[in-house]
Amino acid sequence: MSHSTPPASEPNSTSTLPEQPGVLVAKKHHLLVRWSHWLNVPILLGLILSGISIYWASPIYQHKPDSNTGNFDVAADIGIWICTHVPGLHHYGSPPDWIYNHMTLGPGMLALALRLHWLCAYSFMVNGMVYVAGLVMGGGWRPLLPRLTDLFDALRMLQYYLGLPLAKLTRRKWLHPRFNTKYNALQRTAYFSVPVAGCLSVATGWAIHKPMQFHWLAALFGGYNAARVWHFWLMWFYILFIVPHVILVIADGWDTLRSMIVGWSTRVKRSEAIANER
Amino acid sequence: MSDDKKTDSLQPEEIRSTRSPLSAKRRPRTDGAVSSVAKGSLSMKKPQAFFEERSLPAIEMTPRRLRYLSRRDVLLFGAGAVAALAGGGFLLPQDTLSRLGVRRNMDSTEKEWFLNKALRIDDDVAEALYSENRTVPTYSKSQITPLKNNYNGATPDPAYISGWNLTLDGLASGLSISLDIRNLLTRFSVHEQITRLVCVEGWSAIAWWAGLRFDDLLRAYPPISQAKWARVESSVNLDASGNPDPYFVSIDLATARHPQTLLATHFNGQPLTVDHGAPLRLLVPVKLGLKNVKAVTKITYSAEEPRDYWAERGYSRYDGI
Repeated sequence: MSHSTPPASEPNSTSTLPEQPGVLVAKKHHLLVRWSHWLNVPILLGLILSGISIYWASPIYQHKPDSNTGNFDVAADIGIWICTHVPGLHHYGSPPDWIYNHMTLGPGMLALALRLHWLCAYSFMVNGMVYVAGLVMGGGWRPLLPRLTDLFDALRMLQYYLGLPLAKLTRRKWLHPRFNTKYNALQRTAYFSVPVAGCLSVATGWAIHKPMQFHWLAALFGGYNAARVWHFWLMWFYILFIVPHVILVIADGWDTLRSMIVGWSTRVKRSEAIANER
Repeated sequence: MSDDKKTDSLQPEEIRSTRSPLSAKRRPRTDGAVSSVAKGSLSMKKPQAFFEERSLPAIEMTPRRLRYLSRRDVLLFGAGAVAALAGGGFLLPQDTLSRLGVRRNMDSTEKEWFLNKALRIDDDVAEALYSENRTVPTYSKSQITPLKNNYNGATPDPAYISGWNLTLDGLASGLSISLDIRNLLTRFSVHEQITRLVCVEGWSAIAWWAGLRFDDLLRAYPPISQAKWARVESSVNLDASGNPDPYFVSIDLATARHPQTLLATHFNGQPLTVDHGAPLRLLVPVKLGLKNVKAVTKITYSAEEPRDYWAERGYSRYDGI
């Protein structure tokens, strides 16, 4: 995947099309960053699906058993609620299992879910190291570092995104806040916090997986039970990140998506190109 | 663009060059060999700090080449995505696949081998983490939490307790030893501890236990010299419908010798009730709850790893936590 062939040696590219002007491109993401980014898709999916299957065995959120059904699991309550209120689901076979049947590998398969969870968890840790290596090798870590001004600027970006649909509908002018960095403050905050969340997920994962050998780690998160709660809500952090992430990439267009596949982006500031010329 | 080769030779080099001390730190010195580089950097506004974001070096590329690279990499990543989808789908449990509408049985020995490999790696990690000197946290009596009767299957009829014996096999003496609860309680000193029991399902409970150390039993009745394992079993266990379902686990002797591994006789200050494995249960806080066999009736030492009830049902073998 390395670009071993310089464009100058591309056979006849200039001689057959002499009029064609060149485009300015910049390498936005290192190869290892791109690979590990996309590998996160199946790995995180596997972790979440197997994770909620594991959750089924002993839910964090429980209440006193229902006198009629004996149900104590809040996730089962939600399944029952869905099956009574969503048209077409009234005849669903086992309403308490609805969540587990649709958002996990399935209920009652703890051994299988644990196996897959370990497989994905070790892959996730290796993948995370590959990602960090890519950031270091490509210098991509610098644009990710948070800045003091980020809090205010991120709120401005959030205001922009939240107001955008209404502005479009009313055909009002709605200007994108200006920034001259690789990422805007909101992006930077999001892209910086995801690897941090990754580290926290790994740490809480070890804390509940090996609560005796790593009891100090569990204590760091408030004990074994609290570490389970941390681990559960960190999953929701990924889900809450991924939804707008995917929407905004699609909204932003092909160049942004391509830069995570091919690495090159044509959104280059003229001044940078000049600065780069010798 | 005077020198395409230089600017496009490889991206990391490009970045390294902007990071080099020549371009940033030694900029004011425009003498000798560095002058050509320094001249190029003059358009940069100020020297860059180490943590400061750098501008992305831009190069010129023919649209044709960009199209070619895009097409190539999109195809490559697409192939990768298809492979990941197929590979991931292959690894899913059969029940999940059936719910997704896959009729064919996708279980195979290769799949089992691969997934069990992940289990074994995790077991090896757990074994490497174990240290005989590392004790598990102990708690105060005010931190004790309720412990449910999590008997696998049905709780046995307490009638077995009156005729209960602990049998030891695989001893250096070559004998098979049978001990009753009075032998055990009079011969060995009793140790107390308030520790957490963690279930593979995720729940845990802090309980106050008392009993003899497994290590003391091992010293009093030494196993065969090659022994590395103990098979700890209970013959009184029942399955969910009340039929006999002997329960057996493998315990490595390193764990058995841990100072907090007890053969517990008391729970929360009282002799064990039938719910908690009267009259003697294994309490091994460095292992998952499923290794903490209730109503132990027999311990057999061996050189080879013995069978394990839950390992045969798809769980890991070592279960160190």
